[in-house]
Amino acid sequence: MHGLLLLAGVSLLSFVLVELAPGDYFAEMRLDPRISEATVHALRARYGLDRPLPERYGRWLASLAKGELGYSFAYGQPVGPLLWPRLRNTLLLTVTATALAWLLAVPLGTWWATRRRGPADAALTGLTAMLLALPDLVLVLGLLLLAVRTGWFPTGGMVSLGHEQMPWGARVKDVAFHLVLPVAALVLGIVPALVRYVRASVADALGAPFVRAARAHGIPERRVLFRHALPAAANPLVSLFGLSLAGLLSMSLLVEVVMSWPGLGPLFLEAILARDFHLVLGPVLASTFLLLGGNLLADLLLAATDPRIRTEER
Amino acid sequence: MGAVAGMQARGRGLLVVAVALSASTALAQGAPSSADLLRSEHEVGRAGGRLVFALRSEPKTLNPVTAVDIPSKDVIGRLTADLVHIDRQTQRTAPALAKSWRVSPDGRHYTLELRRGLRFSDGHPFDADDVVFSFQCYLDERNGSPQRDLLIVGGKPVVVRKLDAYRVAFDLEEPYAAAERLFDANAILPRHLLEKAQQEGRLPQAWGLGTPPAEMAGLGPFRLKSYVPGDRLVLERNPHYWKVDRAGRPLPYLDEIMFLLVPSEDAQVIRFKAGETDLISRLSAANFTVLARDQVAGRYRLEDLGPGLEYSFLFFNLNTLDAGKLAAVSRKQSWFSRTEFRQAVSAALDRQGMARLVYQGRGTPLATHVTPGNKLWMNGTLPPPARSLSGARDRLGRAGFSWKDGTLQDGAGEAVEFTIITNASNASRVQMASIIQDDLRELGLRVQVVPLENRALLDRVFHSHDYEAALMALTSEDVDPNSEMNVWISSGPTHLWHLGESRPATPWEDEIDGLMHRQLVTLDARERKRLYDRVQALVAENLPLIPLISPNVLVGAREGLGNFRPAILDPYVLWNADELFWLPSADRR
Repeated sequence: MHGLLLLAGVSLLSFVLVELAPGDYFAEMRLDPRISEATVHALRARYGLDRPLPERYGRWLASLAKGELGYSFAYGQPVGPLLWPRLRNTLLLTVTATALAWLLAVPLGTWWATRRRGPADAALTGLTAMLLALPDLVLVLGLLLLAVRTGWFPTGGMVSLGHEQMPWGARVKDVAFHLVLPVAALVLGIVPALVRYVRASVADALGAPFVRAARAHGIPERRVLFRHALPAAANPLVSLFGLSLAGLLSMSLLVEVVMSWPGLGPLFLEAILARDFHLVLGPVLASTFLLLGGNLLADLLLAATDPRIRTEER
Repeated sequence: MGAVAGMQARGRGLLVVAVALSASTALAQGAPSSADLLRSEHEVGRAGGRLVFALRSEPKTLNPVTAVDIPSKDVIGRLTADLVHIDRQTQRTAPALAKSWRVSPDGRHYTLELRRGLRFSDGHPFDADDVVFSFQCYLDERNGSPQRDLLIVGGKPVVVRKLDAYRVAFDLEEPYAAAERLFDANAILPRHLLEKAQQEGRLPQAWGLGTPPAEMAGLGPFRLKSYVPGDRLVLERNPHYWKVDRAGRPLPYLDEIMFLLVPSEDAQVIRFKAGETDLISRLSAANFTVLARDQVAGRYRLEDLGPGLEYSFLFFNLNTLDAGKLAAVSRKQSWFSRTEFRQAVSAALDRQGMARLVYQGRGTPLATHVTPGNKLWMNGTLPPPARSLSGARDRLGRAGFSWKDGTLQDGAGEAVEFTIITNASNASRVQMASIIQDDLRELGLRVQVVPLENRALLDRVFHSHDYEAALMALTSEDVDPNSEMNVWISSGPTHLWHLGESRPATPWEDEIDGLMHRQLVTLDARERKRLYDRVQALVAENLPLIPLISPNVLVGAREGLGNFRPAILDPYVLWNADELFWLPSADRR
């Protein structure tokens, strides 16, 4: 119920905010000297842009209920079918990157937590601070430069020119090859913060009285770390994992635009610039949905991993 | 072999304007022996290969009736054909699906003779019914076609009649000079595929990007093969195309054209440089310079085609304003409306400097809105713009302005200052506005530059009129003055500086109105040129738009691409895609 209210609130707010921006999709047509004002008016009327705001919101909600998510002025078709194929590409990129980032961050952060006040600690602190400070755009452009200079990786796109003619196995390899740079850019962007979180959580757990008690009982350090400290440190990390699901749709927009990845990024950017209102709202709403889903998943995972939460529920 | 006569009929009886090309003896694959094929006069090439071209945004539709965006038009132009075509290089009309046309002496009736025996890309025969149907679609108000306005002549829609299976008549309400140029933008649609959608009022939704290739057909050199959302669109050779080369071999040469979606200019440059795309257009001067360094090693060549049809300009808000709402702007209009003020501003601008700094020398200073790229219509007698601060001061002095501590002030002692708004996402324009700011500072004028998001800018210019001065640009799609009609007539919807005039606000606007209307109905080409020369002289003198720079059209192609003949008219590099071919020396394909 709470989630539904949030979804409705976000939809209303984004609808109003998008509509409040000056100009509409058809404004740029006015710059074409061959198109008359009457034609532009007729087009605005056809798409209902001359109707009052509540009515437009109502129409959009109705179209949402049908699963169309509104109507794109630019493409002249419902938003839903435009989003799905691109959503798949975006998810391929972000799910791969998120999974890889977690797979890297958990062991690295755990290892880092056990190496406090050493040269490794200083090096990792410096490296993650640098990566955190580096703007994503610079990171992406740097990787792109690498691709252009060396020719090791493709400079953009998701598949090679002759992709359709390739056998099945080669196609998978082709997509994987094209994934390397954009995934690297995303992972380098996510990992530093994640590693620091993992390190802090594990370090906290390692300093906790029950860990000291375990050590005092003579339990080997490795078992203390994996059997006792890590499950306790998992709690904040699970919440963070839920949140990172919310970013699945939006985290790669910039990378997609710069690296011509056929996901939501280029579509979303163009829709914003062109004031293709409903096309902007589609991904916004989908992101909200993922945020709610991510929170729910995190809660369920927490309940599964943390006995204290299960006890409270009872 | 064929001959194309002048652009205009000259009113001597029923005049044959274009001579039919005799039926080629050669056969295009798939075309019957009786087909009237058009023979190309350019270099004979080699069949085969694929051409890759990057689009900056995804085409929005493949429907010629509703398409407005450039990428859609780039693709649709390869899939379809028109009755009469504007040769992008000569800027004159040439026969296409119509092998000849006649104009009645009064310039109101056109009779077009269609090529016989042609087929759409799905093999279905083409005849006059398709032509009548196509124009019915363009003219139908329900379809909201941007082409519709062009087909309203003298306030009434053009009447299209079928005379027989291969002859069509077009009746105009009043004479319309160079009406044959109107046919260029109207692709002929297959009646057999679209008639049902048109009858049911669903035509605007037809031929979206997801349409299966089997449900589409055109008369262009290529046909749709596949589409991957957000990534690419592939066209394949149309086996029924109606052109052959000099040796009688069927065109097009290329097997495929692949349009890749590459959403930024920089990414396009990177992929062109990496050899992943074969053609590039709409290059900025900065990227052109970067690419030019590696031309030989990169095995590509770049071409600077000189000024295109785009013209940038500064203009002041001369709209009739609601003084209660926009009091500050309204007060400043007493300066803006003085011709001497606009002339002084124009004289103070260093256009050469702008061309050098903003376009790295790849731009041309303008005296009027017609650029040197428009070979047929530019008024060559107008002097090129030259900076003269003393001239500017003289004009301001004569208009009652004076200087106090170096600051310009009006007759009432108020300091002269204003704000220029421009498109924030266009770095060149923002840079030009800053140069104008510096130039005018030397005249004692204080100018602020406010870059705005483009739609917000358009909203101020077209709706709220809440601005003092703006820096914008317009690009004509055609060289003919008729394409600029709505900018210059006082009631025109693109009469930017003063929109919605019920009658001309000034004597010179009244004169421009008269001249533009006269040139529209004058059939004599020389007389039209004289009339339009006068329009240009009036614009240069009264400066409702202060012309600045026309950026050069900058393009590039991979080495080994034969018949690469880029032009300054859209689509700069792909207009002759049917003749492009890969030389044996080309290393890519």
